[in-house]
Amino acid sequence: MDPKEVLDELRTILVTRLKFDQRRAADMTLETTLPKGVEGSIGLDSLDFIELSIAIEERFGIVMDESQDLTRHFLSFDTLARFITARTEAA
Amino acid sequence: MRRIAVTGLGVVSPFGVGTKAYWNGLSAGVCAIRPVTLIETEGFRCRIAAEVPNGIGGSLRRSRADRFALAAAREALEDAGLSRVERAEAALVVGAVGGGMLEAEAWYWERYRGSRPPSRPTPRSTLPFAHAEALGNALGLEGPRETVVMACSSGAASVALAADLVADGVVATALAGGVDALTRICFMGFNALKLLCPEPCRPFDRDRRGLSIGEGAAFVVLEDLERARARGARIYATLAGHGMTTDAYHVTAPHPDGEGMVRAMATALERARLAPKAVGYANAHGTATPQNDRIEARAIREVFGPGQLLVSSTKSMIGHTMAAAGALEAVATVLALVHEVVPPTANLETPDPDVAFDCVPRVAREAPVEYAISNSFGFGGQNVTLLFGRA
Amino acid sequence: MARVVVTGVGVVTGPVTGGREHVRAFLASSGAPVVSVRSSALDGLVDETEARRLSRICQLSVAAARIALADAGLGPGAGLGLVIGAEFGDVRSTIAFVDGYLRRGPGGLSALLFPNTVMNTMAAATAIAVTARELSLTLNAPTVAGELAIARATAAVRAGRTDAVLAGGVDEFDSILAELLADGGAPSETRGEGAGFVLLESLDVAEARGARVLGEIAGASWRAIRARPYGVGRDAASRAIAAALDEAGATSGDVGRVWVSASGDGPRDRWEQAILTEALRPARPPQTALASRTGRHAGLGALAVAAAALDDASGGPALVHAVARGGTHVALVVRNRGRHTHDV
Repeated sequence: MDPKEVLDELRTILVTRLKFDQRRAADMTLETTLPKGVEGSIGLDSLDFIELSIAIEERFGIVMDESQDLTRHFLSFDTLARFITARTEAA
Repeated sequence: MRRIAVTGLGVVSPFGVGTKAYWNGLSAGVCAIRPVTLIETEGFRCRIAAEVPNGIGGSLRRSRADRFALAAAREALEDAGLSRVERAEAALVVGAVGGGMLEAEAWYWERYRGSRPPSRPTPRSTLPFAHAEALGNALGLEGPRETVVMACSSGAASVALAADLVADGVVATALAGGVDALTRICFMGFNALKLLCPEPCRPFDRDRRGLSIGEGAAFVVLEDLERARARGARIYATLAGHGMTTDAYHVTAPHPDGEGMVRAMATALERARLAPKAVGYANAHGTATPQNDRIEARAIREVFGPGQLLVSSTKSMIGHTMAAAGALEAVATVLALVHEVVPPTANLETPDPDVAFDCVPRVAREAPVEYAISNSFGFGGQNVTLLFGRA
Repeated sequence: MARVVVTGVGVVTGPVTGGREHVRAFLASSGAPVVSVRSSALDGLVDETEARRLSRICQLSVAAARIALADAGLGPGAGLGLVIGAEFGDVRSTIAFVDGYLRRGPGGLSALLFPNTVMNTMAAATAIAVTARELSLTLNAPTVAGELAIARATAAVRAGRTDAVLAGGVDEFDSILAELLADGGAPSETRGEGAGFVLLESLDVAEARGARVLGEIAGASWRAIRARPYGVGRDAASRAIAAALDEAGATSGDVGRVWVSASGDGPRDRWEQAILTEALRPARPPQTALASRTGRHAGLGALAVAAAALDDASGGPALVHAVARGGTHVALVVRNRGRHTHDV
């Protein structure tokens, strides 16, 4: 899967599971940052990230090891897409 | 201000029915966390819990949780020796979360799968208030009646609120406690949040990885101390003070500095007019999540100073019993004062070096203690501290 | 013992959303019952993240709490407590959470929905929204949850355990719930949805900050009358009404109006009348049943207390009364602000 395809899937997850507005999700790009506290981000908190992880595991068939610190992968859609792509290729 | 005595105890725990079985298990450091039998657990990372063993008794037309509540409440009332008139005037405060959800889930699951389940539970037998209704009716309790839902602190909040009724002179006696049976919603939800440890939980251990779920019920009878003495009641302990605060920080994460926890413990001391050094033991909330134990240990240290008191988590043995936890742990704390034995933290192999206390690893400790606290620092920052004194 | 006054009200219900002026206008008007809250009622009361993250019942609660605080002229975080009554909690989220698993297995579980399966989720969300860091309590009871929450909060302020509390309740209407209730043989009654809170403070604190007092809760009591679980009792003797009147220094003959919990459940409504007749005889003060305009829900306790406090025409203190099948029973004695300054 290329990053744009992954981004589309992530947008769907943002709408169906994280309850973002369709239009808001459509405006998101690979550069969009995720975590609350980062300037201009979409403001996801710890519970949002857990939801996102569950959805990613389900949609992409990968398993995330919560004992690892995966924070850096969740910084933006770009870092997240790369992480997902790498994991699905490895699987 | 009236002083409060604890004059009756009743328990249904993963060790079985009765306060005796409970204390025997706790003081021997037995871990009751085992593979789940009550619900399906396939596909979940954690498949263990501390279930109440068979043989609870009670009519099978009642929900499992109602049967727990009735057995524990009956034991407490009989233990206190309250007359029929005293029961009629006693307050009833019940901490509950799951209610009769286990049976409602079973019905809903069967309906979803297209089969015809034998009986349909009603919303009124499912909702948290069902226990108070059942107890009030079965035990002839006609005083003030409340059901408190405060997540993991429900059981402790009930004891505190009941104490307020006695202290305010609204009632002379109160029956307070908490109850929860294992439910699919709870088990699946905590699994989904990745908060459960696949093995029995290890509070305050450096390598702890999450909590274990349990089930049960506990009730205490609270009474005006003078009145209890006058009628020659057995006085287990006094409830010297309590504190209830809210983090108002995040729906699931606690305040990182344990600010609400500190205030709860400080308020309990203040209400009891006691200095921190008077307290010899803390029965911790101690869920064994990396976060809770770290923040709680720090909060205890801030209030009491490092190494000043023994700290243990009985959740290591009976798991996190949700709405029952605060009440089961209140009973454990009272019994620690009575027997002068502090129950251990089971499964504690490598104490976390960041925790500045002796967490009583694996073996109970003889320790004559004057005052002890029980902490319930519920999910999302609902904090209750109960402070008990030796009788 | 402190005197407990009502310094703010906020309701989000079918026919009325707003603070004291809206409540006053609603009471002066008449109209067909409106049992559902329109989605536009929440406009401007929850922010974008709350609209995304909070379930509807939590949004109702947050909205009403914000209106009540604004009505009281208070900002968030002023050493505030919170007591919320609810009969059903977040049924929609609970069903959605369970359906997610049944349809898709563990991967279908929602971490965002899970906290809503515990009935204190409304209190948790509201405490965060208004920074209430003292006691934050959820009481679950059939029918009387809102009144019960106000009674418990009144006791806390009176005993000096807290200076200011938002007290009231919230319930959401749900069609699956209605079906389950009907299937389960629940009596038919007019159910509605909504949230309502009053702000209670000690008189000293209220006067010190120049609050606009609506009225005083001069007596608050709650008991249980003997009855089978979810049954209507045969007894009509009430200790709660006597205790509340006693605390208020009032007699049954003083009561100017009774705000009753009648909701169209015939046997229960008749039982309530028997209880009131027994407690207040020979007096027969006029009655108002708010549920006939809004449907019964846990937000009505606050609406009734505010209405009682605003009722300038009442000939004496009001009795806000509620009794549930199974016997939980609440009585509140409310004095209009014009009367609160007269010491008893």
